[in-house]
Amino acid sequence: METELRTGVFICHCGINISGVLDIEDLCEYARTLPGVVTVQANLFTCAETGTSEIKAAVKEHDLNRVVVAACTPRTHEPIFRASCQEAGINPYFFEMVNIREHCSWVHRHDKEGAQAKARDLIRMGVAKALFLEPLETFRSKVEPKALVIGAGIAGMTSALAIANQGFEVILLEKEVEMGGLLRHLHKVAPSDMTAAELIGEKIAAIEKDKRIQCFTSAALEEVTGYVGNYAVRFSCGDESYSDKVGVIIVATGGASLKPVDLYNYDGEHVITQSELEIKLKDGNIGAKSIVMVQCVGARIPERNYCSRICCMVGIKNSLHIKEIVKDAKIFVLFRDIQAYGVENEALFFKAKEAGVRFIRYSLESPPVVEDGKVKIYHAGMGKEISLPADLVVLSTPIVAHDDAESISRILKVPIDEHKFFLEAHAKLSPLDFATSGIYLCGNAHYPATVREATYQALGAASRASIVLSHDTVERVGTVAAVKEELCSSCFACVKVCPYQVPHMNERGKAEIEPMQCQGCGICVAECPAEAIKFAYVSDEQITAACEALYAA
Amino acid sequence: MNKEVLVIGGGIAGIQACLDLADQGMTVYLVERLPSIGGKMAQLDKTFPTNDCSICIMGPKLFEVERHPNTQLLTYTEVEEVSGEAGNFTVKVRKKPRYVEEDKCTACGLCADKCPVAVPDQFNMGMSTRKAIYKYFPQGIPSVYTIDDSACRIFKGKKCNICAKICEAKAVNYEQKETVFELNVGAIIVATGFEVFDPSDIKPYGYRTIPDVITAMEFERLLNASGPTGGHLERPSSLKIKAEIRQLEKQIKKAKTRLKSLEKKSEESGDETRKALEEMNERLPVLQAKGASLEELRDIAFVQCVGSRDLRYNAHCCSYGCMHSVKEAVVATEHGSELQSTIFLTDMRAYGKGFHQYCLRGASEYGIQFVRGRVAEIGVGDDGRPAVWCEDMDTRKVEERPFDLVVLATACVPSKGIENLSSMIGFDLDENGFVKTDPNKPANTSVKGIFVCGCAEGPMDIPSSVSMASAAASMAVQTVKAL
Amino acid sequence: MSIQDLIEKTKVSFCQDCGVCTGSCPVSRVLPGFSPQQMVAKYVLSSDLGMEDEVLGEQDVWSCLTCALCLQRCPSKVEYLEFVRGVREEAFRAGNKITHAHDGILQTITQMQTSGLPQNRTAWAREAGTIKEEGEYYLFVGCVPYFDVLFKDMGVSPLGSASDMLKILNKFGIEPVVSDEERCCGHDMLWSGNVDLFKELALHNVELIKRLGCKKVIFGCPEGYLTFKEYYPLYCTDMGLDAVHFYDLVYDQIQEGTFQLSPLEQKVTYHDPCRLGRMAGMYDSPREIIASIPGIKFVEMERNREEAVCCGISCWANCSSYSKQIQMDRIKEAEATGADTLITACPKCNIHFSCALSSAEMGLEVKDLTQLMASAMGI
Repeated sequence: METELRTGVFICHCGINISGVLDIEDLCEYARTLPGVVTVQANLFTCAETGTSEIKAAVKEHDLNRVVVAACTPRTHEPIFRASCQEAGINPYFFEMVNIREHCSWVHRHDKEGAQAKARDLIRMGVAKALFLEPLETFRSKVEPKALVIGAGIAGMTSALAIANQGFEVILLEKEVEMGGLLRHLHKVAPSDMTAAELIGEKIAAIEKDKRIQCFTSAALEEVTGYVGNYAVRFSCGDESYSDKVGVIIVATGGASLKPVDLYNYDGEHVITQSELEIKLKDGNIGAKSIVMVQCVGARIPERNYCSRICCMVGIKNSLHIKEIVKDAKIFVLFRDIQAYGVENEALFFKAKEAGVRFIRYSLESPPVVEDGKVKIYHAGMGKEISLPADLVVLSTPIVAHDDAESISRILKVPIDEHKFFLEAHAKLSPLDFATSGIYLCGNAHYPATVREATYQALGAASRASIVLSHDTVERVGTVAAVKEELCSSCFACVKVCPYQVPHMNERGKAEIEPMQCQGCGICVAECPAEAIKFAYVSDEQITAACEALYAA
Repeated sequence: MNKEVLVIGGGIAGIQACLDLADQGMTVYLVERLPSIGGKMAQLDKTFPTNDCSICIMGPKLFEVERHPNTQLLTYTEVEEVSGEAGNFTVKVRKKPRYVEEDKCTACGLCADKCPVAVPDQFNMGMSTRKAIYKYFPQGIPSVYTIDDSACRIFKGKKCNICAKICEAKAVNYEQKETVFELNVGAIIVATGFEVFDPSDIKPYGYRTIPDVITAMEFERLLNASGPTGGHLERPSSLKIKAEIRQLEKQIKKAKTRLKSLEKKSEESGDETRKALEEMNERLPVLQAKGASLEELRDIAFVQCVGSRDLRYNAHCCSYGCMHSVKEAVVATEHGSELQSTIFLTDMRAYGKGFHQYCLRGASEYGIQFVRGRVAEIGVGDDGRPAVWCEDMDTRKVEERPFDLVVLATACVPSKGIENLSSMIGFDLDENGFVKTDPNKPANTSVKGIFVCGCAEGPMDIPSSVSMASAAASMAVQTVKAL
Repeated sequence: MSIQDLIEKTKVSFCQDCGVCTGSCPVSRVLPGFSPQQMVAKYVLSSDLGMEDEVLGEQDVWSCLTCALCLQRCPSKVEYLEFVRGVREEAFRAGNKITHAHDGILQTITQMQTSGLPQNRTAWAREAGTIKEEGEYYLFVGCVPYFDVLFKDMGVSPLGSASDMLKILNKFGIEPVVSDEERCCGHDMLWSGNVDLFKELALHNVELIKRLGCKKVIFGCPEGYLTFKEYYPLYCTDMGLDAVHFYDLVYDQIQEGTFQLSPLEQKVTYHDPCRLGRMAGMYDSPREIIASIPGIKFVEMERNREEAVCCGISCWANCSSYSKQIQMDRIKEAEATGADTLITACPKCNIHFSCALSSAEMGLEVKDLTQLMASAMGI
């Protein structure tokens, strides 16, 4: 039986984010003229409690069965409005969101007329599409109470231990022959003055003792399929190959220190990196009295335009350690901006100054020149170039992504950024999550981090992962593609085209898509020549209706 | 063993810790001393380096805290006493009376519309007013009104009763009393955040004596749509003149009416009023002209390290000040494309993901000027605008540069209540007054079962606070599960 | 002290390279190229590279007014003044001398005072009031008798202030010792790098005052007061003498209400001398004294107390167009308050401002606080 479609439109001022550019009253008037619309309301903040209450009240009052909100981005706000629909007693997918903030008032803020016209178009399209919305259901699937942690540096080890302590099993993979990561090569960590060996030693011992953690060294991740709560993982350890099921995955693959090939006469002997200096510090033999450190070697330059966050503190820490070994050492640190952020870093910076370490600023335009036994630099105080004696030059190079970051990102189907660091779901509020649920990140794999930071990120990632692990099942909403078997011609187009490798041929020789796995990208829907794949969330009818509405004006 | 956890502080760190715990099936009490959760992040206009609208991305989290079946939100509540040990803490809390029944109030706002008492709005850094019955901020959670008993007429023994009369939900209750009760929890997370340093301590910067010298947080509110100017970028002196003009116009109107009535009666002489009116009519165009000259905002100076990296005030770096100012400069330019922003800094600390590129873009796309040199003093220039004295460390020139507006990037200092809390619970503070932690166990305080996250531990940006909040949640769960 | 040790001691290597000192420095604002920050950086680096001698011959160390404004503002709490004093010592030793003003006559007078020539330092005092040969209080008159002779033409009367001070003291019942054998306090020598001469003067004065049986030494001059209080103890151990500033004594009497003041219809502002304010921390007593005079209207200058700006010259050296500019700026600031009188509490500030005013058309008068006080007391 056909029910009458009754649409309510809610238009948000978003303070002045929208109403500063768009004429909301006009949009309301306009929306009232659209087919199926029975009520239109404007809200100062539709997302505020008052706004959502108004939606709920309107659904009851006007017996609405479709809700359209013209406001901001569905990325952040769709869940709120869907929940409001559900609370009002209609299927949350009878909801359509129109973005008149990012798409109108923000981008076209200098063209109010154009923005207004576009907002009308978008609202008209949204309302037209809403008429063809379909109710969607939620799926549930069982959670494998086990985690895979990739990388056994300080971050990976910390994460693994935290998850185990929360009562779950962990598979810990390390590609090197032993655990410890970058810290294996370090002398001491700042500011605790603990040796890196002690620190990782404690963790390794705890991991080896913990029966819930299975650690594989010399291991390589080979394949990951599945979805949150239910990932099938395959990896090798030496010649052996292993398969297992895990509910969550933590990426703690770390980073590497850049080798400064062709920079500042690097030779690994008189001109070395901080990592190479760490080895000398471990040995307690510096073999030099006049030391010059150069910061930002290969960082904050056009080819690598990021600050590696930790190198300044590494330089400061190591200059103090040199002073411990060679009391009368003369150390100059040549820097561009000292990144001694926070409390303890700034304190350590002062401590270095107190110990007689000298800091001289240089600019990107006139970098220091390393010559035999000396470093030349323009000194602003002297107003001229000066020559600093240097038996040893230490180059502070940035943390860069590992060579295998790209291949791991492909195996996990998670994104990396332009510098090949793994890309979190949201820079501000989801720093430890990937957009793909069930996969998390921490430590240098995300971005250079101090031991303290990597540790709390690792604990945090463990917490995020434990949210999934602490439940027996996970829910997945129905914004997924589904095959109408009767129309499938078994052409394999969907199998080939899916970036997540979800579609497969079932026992009847027809394509099948596991809803828990489908990411809802829609590529197969577009590709299927038989139009056998349906995307209830974005159906052809909906798109056609929206397009027709667009050109109907 | 008690599976419940207490989170103290409802800023972004406390909220994230609370949600992580609740999502893991723990019962969480979130205590917030203010009428609403949200903390400092709720006051920000946008966030770096993505320029996300702060309350827009935070709003859903506020909602989630309130809706989550495993959380119990205790706003307007303070912790009074803590005893016990890891696994079994007894916490005495005191919930202040709102004089509005939380379960009845629908936040319709009618009461505030009619309330006759206006006081400075703390959320807008005192730059606008709110009523004695008020909502802490529009998106505040819980979405209920609160009566400020230090401002309300009823609590001053005067007659009023307007809000109670007008409230259709019958939510206003002047008789509401504070309640004191105990919670039993297995672990506690301290997420009490930070305070913004008061720069009036630094005399040469003229804060509170020169009108157009403001703090970065005040500037956030000036940029914000729900701020005192509704998001229209204006300097305080302009706002002040406008208020004066409004006042004068009112007085002129009054004087005119009075004059008319005097003319009718004709027995009294209107000379005095006429003279006053003439004087006001002369003054009005002068004020209007001055107001018009202040309307446009052409240039802004951002002064970095105000009270930070300064052994006289706070030795530490605030961690976010550089990026905060770059963001404010970018957002300001979006408000007025002709605007020129200049940032005076010592070291540019753009050490986070995407930060350096954000600064480069700030320079190339938004024309932000970066001057290396800490501002020595701010005076009033010959044209009446604030003038910044600074040595440009690159050109080695000492110059006085006037600006329409000067924004002070103030230090991040420990919250006022942290000392009290530390002595109540017994955890240590570091020499700067933040909660002391072991660098290798970053969320652990010196007391077992008590964890810390966010700026209570030390200055940090939002993603770090969020990460650390999750870390504290993990530690709390581990503690409770190990018992 | 070697420059290396001096750097350690004064913590100048804690410098954050921020430039607040230079941005604050009154000299840097008028003398392009002068930068306290740069000077620190230069000396630190030169000493690290063993090239101190190269920089010890440079002139900029003498351009500093040692006014302590940078010290007040330095976020690293660098002890800049001690650093400059130390560098000046080394520079002096290396033969680099400060450029004297007034053809060096004031330095010559100081020099002569160490030669044992008899001076007449008490004749004025005997005329003005009652003094003693021996007693608890010693009145340290300092160099004002000489200033009086040199700067009379400018309309200032430093000795007049000293006479007023003695008269007021007498009113309080204090009959201090004043001595012909007193010598210059040595302040200018100390800040010109001539420590040997300073030491000689200091030891002489301490020995003299002790010999006269005095316990408390009263100063009207901020330089003498500060030098006696802070710098004599560096060279004279077991001094056993208390330095008392005349204004503190007056302030005490005001609080006790021991005397009556007649009203003065004046609007005044007050200039904090660097030595008295930032360096000795005395801000309130002078203001309280002014406030106690009935009828007087007191207004602050924009930059006051800790933030006050120097009068432009120290140690009778380097008087040049830039000193004039600093003085003029300060006078304009005083004028902008609407005051008719600029009160000073230092004979040198008084002389410098009077000199600057003599070439400017301004409705402003410079007056010494002691003399203001004396007129209110009817002296």
